[in-house]
Amino acid sequence: MRIVKSRRIVLYIVLIAFAILMLLPLWSGIATAFKTSKEVILTTPITPPLHPTLTPLIESLDYIKKSLINSLVLVGSGVMVSCFFGSILAYVFSKRRFRGSITLFFLVVFCLYVPPQVQLIPLVRVTSRLGLHGNLGALVLLYMLFGTPMCTFIFKILYDEVPDSFIGAAKLDGAGTWTIYRQIILPLSVIPFIVAALLQVTIIWNDFIWGLILTSGEANLPVTVALANLKGSFVAKWNLQMAGALWVALPTLIIFIFLGKYVIRGYAGR
Amino acid sequence: MELNKNEKISVLLIVLPILAIIFFFFYYCAGWNFFISLTDWKGFIPTYNLVGFRNYSSLLHDSIFWTSLKNNLLLIVIFVPGVILIGLIFAILIDQRVKGEGIFRTIYLLPFALSFVVTATLWTWMYSPRVGTINVLLEKLRLSSLKSGWITEPNIVMYCIITALIWQFAGYSVIIFLGGIRSIPESHTEAAKVDGASSFTLYTRIIIPQLTGSFMTGFIIFMCFAIKAFDFIWVLNKGGPGYTSHILGIAMYKETFVLDKYAYGAVYSTIIFLLSIVIIIPLLYLIHRREKLK
Repeated sequence: MRIVKSRRIVLYIVLIAFAILMLLPLWSGIATAFKTSKEVILTTPITPPLHPTLTPLIESLDYIKKSLINSLVLVGSGVMVSCFFGSILAYVFSKRRFRGSITLFFLVVFCLYVPPQVQLIPLVRVTSRLGLHGNLGALVLLYMLFGTPMCTFIFKILYDEVPDSFIGAAKLDGAGTWTIYRQIILPLSVIPFIVAALLQVTIIWNDFIWGLILTSGEANLPVTVALANLKGSFVAKWNLQMAGALWVALPTLIIFIFLGKYVIRGYAGR
Repeated sequence: MELNKNEKISVLLIVLPILAIIFFFFYYCAGWNFFISLTDWKGFIPTYNLVGFRNYSSLLHDSIFWTSLKNNLLLIVIFVPGVILIGLIFAILIDQRVKGEGIFRTIYLLPFALSFVVTATLWTWMYSPRVGTINVLLEKLRLSSLKSGWITEPNIVMYCIITALIWQFAGYSVIIFLGGIRSIPESHTEAAKVDGASSFTLYTRIIIPQLTGSFMTGFIIFMCFAIKAFDFIWVLNKGGPGYTSHILGIAMYKETFVLDKYAYGAVYSTIIFLLSIVIIIPLLYLIHRREKLK
């Protein structure tokens, strides 16, 4: 009995030690974000701020506030379209299969794994041809389309579990393809809509490379690019850098802490 | 279920336009990128000449390319197994009917919620040689001899990066393996317990062999990341000091968008694409077979 008990204690020590290790970079960022420049030098990076100040948070917010709004626009416009496209494609691939639909599905899944570098150079040309290069419109368009393969995949997993007999019964009643979609499939899609939407929000909010290449000028940057610029412009101002990082981290941290169980379903389903 | 002709038309009318536009951006652009790699296109000048594989042969004599490739291989050889191993170990530990399982899981997953730009900012602070968290902590623990320049040292910069990336992905790996362990039918483990198997043999003989799906998922996701990585290193130190932490993604960005050698950058992208195809072929094969069975 005693061996079992001491084993449990070791188990908890290991789990807690790992948790502390995982939180250390975050904590040292949070602690530093609330310190004055003087306190940053006088205290260790993990000491809690003795005289907490909001100045770094306010100053960094001032630097990135325009881009925070840009990122909100990107998230808002990108999520709904890719979820909707994904849901339609998944419905067809799962319940309205035709000759060649497996190959098409296959090509959609393949898109999930195509590295972004492959499209960067052509995208610069495409967006400048469309007159979108440099402004937010380029990103709005791309996030809508590039989220679709992942959404298709998430919806397909769920639709595969809906018995074919459901559809067969509706068909006997004379319902057409899109009536079945509206009346049977959509009402079953609440959870995958949440899962896919949260995943898209996280991915778009955190994305960096497209914003870096396809937008220019302070007014058009997404928030990650603005943070990278802040980091580059205030090299030794650690409290300002950490405060900026905190603003960018906040939305996705909140999603993972409070809605983590949905997000996990999206990632586990891949 | 077979579709009749009318149904088929109404399905194709909706699906094909969506697919066409998506495939344009993924496949047509990939082909276009390859085409650009065969030219001498400079980006800001609209005209270009076809030069065949000349860019590819100059790549072979480019030491930056070899350094980058070596660093990508380092990610594949150390980061991928490292994050898989840590995920497996902590998934098994969490599976021991731990109190507060959800709290541990959430904490482990938190770094994965963050953008690479955020984590790179946090780790610049961790690794900062003069006032950074790691060196200050080492000093407080009277381990000053272990202090180092970290990401400013060419010999260890890649290992610093790998450590930080394992930190960021560990929780995701735990989730993948925990999901795998939980989906093993209890009857399998119960039978082994009745036979008196110790918990060590239970895991090595019964549970881990049934986790091939999780290993596969983790392997593919982390491998793909190891090949296309860019954000974290770019924000952390721009691939420095010098070229020592360049990877293919960084070299591609610099050649194309810093030096304006678009055609040469497209060669890097093509290589990144080919490497990722090699990795996802087994995955696509599995999915294809599963779909055919339905």
